[in-house]
Amino acid sequence: MMWSVNEGNRKSQGRTSSSRGASFTLRKSSVVFGSTVALDSVDLHIGSGEAVGFVGLSGAGKTTLLCLLNGTVRPTGGTVQVDGRDLATLSFEELRKVRSGIGFVHQDLSLIPNLRVLHNVLAGRLGKLSFWGGMRAFLFPQRRYVHQIHEILERVGIPEKIYERTDRLSGGQRQRVAIARALFQEPVGLLADEPVSSVDPARARSAVSLLTEISREQGLTLCVSLHNLHLAREFFPRLVGLRAGRVVFDRATEQVTEDEFEALYDLNGV
Amino acid sequence: MKMTRSWDRAFLHKGLGVRRILILAILSGGIWAFVQLDLNPADLVPTSGGVQVAWAFFSRALSPAIVYEAEFVPSDTPPLLWKALQAAGTTVVFASAAMSLALIWGLLLGFLASSSWWVGDPAGGAGNVTAFVRRSIAPVVYGSTRVLIAFMRSIHELIWAVLFLAAFGLSHLSAVIAIAIPFGGTLAKIFSEMIDEAPRDVAHAFRGSGASATHVYLFGLVPRALPDMTAYSFYRFECALRSSAILGFFGYPTLGFYIAASFENLHYGEVWTYLYTLLVLVILVDWWSGALRKRFVV
Repeated sequence: MMWSVNEGNRKSQGRTSSSRGASFTLRKSSVVFGSTVALDSVDLHIGSGEAVGFVGLSGAGKTTLLCLLNGTVRPTGGTVQVDGRDLATLSFEELRKVRSGIGFVHQDLSLIPNLRVLHNVLAGRLGKLSFWGGMRAFLFPQRRYVHQIHEILERVGIPEKIYERTDRLSGGQRQRVAIARALFQEPVGLLADEPVSSVDPARARSAVSLLTEISREQGLTLCVSLHNLHLAREFFPRLVGLRAGRVVFDRATEQVTEDEFEALYDLNGV
Repeated sequence: MKMTRSWDRAFLHKGLGVRRILILAILSGGIWAFVQLDLNPADLVPTSGGVQVAWAFFSRALSPAIVYEAEFVPSDTPPLLWKALQAAGTTVVFASAAMSLALIWGLLLGFLASSSWWVGDPAGGAGNVTAFVRRSIAPVVYGSTRVLIAFMRSIHELIWAVLFLAAFGLSHLSAVIAIAIPFGGTLAKIFSEMIDEAPRDVAHAFRGSGASATHVYLFGLVPRALPDMTAYSFYRFECALRSSAILGFFGYPTLGFYIAASFENLHYGEVWTYLYTLLVLVILVDWWSGALRKRFVV
């Protein structure tokens, strides 16, 4: 497998200081949907180029936390900063610009099944294009875009699928299309919501491996939500444990104790 | 097994009640209409003269005319089958012109009549021109477009044709516009609903990656509805063929013109020839759309 990594530097802690990755800062951020508290006063700083795993049971607030980071959910309390800029103070156009720099791999992948892989990946660039630029790219894709997309698909391991209809691909291949779309945004941050839920265990591992590897190569900040603790411990140097909307631990992976992990996944008393 | 307690039973039965009432209401509505119209199966027994006409007409169903039934045919008249083919061609041309116009109107008005393009970002946006348009102009545009397409649809193409013929005479454009107006309205209504009902997952994802509202609409929502929209457009093309044929009754050289003429001359064999030509047209379109659907939609 071309994306397998060498064991030694999988959990590389030291990142280059010239990293172009985005930084995220949450201060006392809360999200309340109706009467449900999804996130409760979360304080979190993720530095440029870091790779962080969000772990916890489903419903713990992992997805909401990711949505705060790209500004698709607004905090009902507290602030969210991306590269030091408070998202609440940005105009709509500025917010769009911030979003266009953050790739998001959705749990359900959110691909258009009846379009070709090329067009699904192309859509990643829409945030950076004008109305006519987007029209042109979609209807008559420029050669340089096609070449870039081919390169990205090569990187994620499915270059030969570029003209295939997306619904003819396997689950694992589709996931790679979703990753490619996020990469075609030329992002500074990469967010992935449960990249293991839609595929079998072997592919889950390679998907997480691919995400961490690409982020490291390109100096992107990576945040991945995972309920699979095994993968989280293997691939991420830093883990944030969430339970019922609160951060219960946030430290280097090897410093998290077994008791803490057990408490995180204890189904009693949620 | 546990006994169903009385309050459980009340809860269980309540769920069924509404549906039962609805089914009964629909049934009795149909019966009421029948009674209201005084529909009597005995009306289907024809008068003695009627039996002869009906027999003369339907007996030719299995032997449509191959050559003209008239005793005198001018020497420069094309053969019957060739004429039927030409009429079919004209019918297709009228239907195609009308559908092209209707599709353009349907896509434009369908865009304005859908709520997806102006419903705001779930995360909201700071106040600017876009937000102002969304909040104050868009609902007005949406509402008036809905009224406009309802008006276009509520008047049948034959009535539009009567109006346009009175105003502009027997021009080709009158016929095309007469069909295009109600068809454009219907397409706009159905397109807007298909787009509004399309899954929103992709639209949400595109918004999250900074795409503008129009891009989200055009590339996130429309493609998801496109298979249904294509299939529906083909069905409407079929309807346009029928309408275009019927406009022949007003004097346009489509199939309807020749059907009416042969019928008046009691040349029922020719009527069947033209009717079968129309049937073949509809089957061809059906086959074509089926083949396309297999390729693009499935």
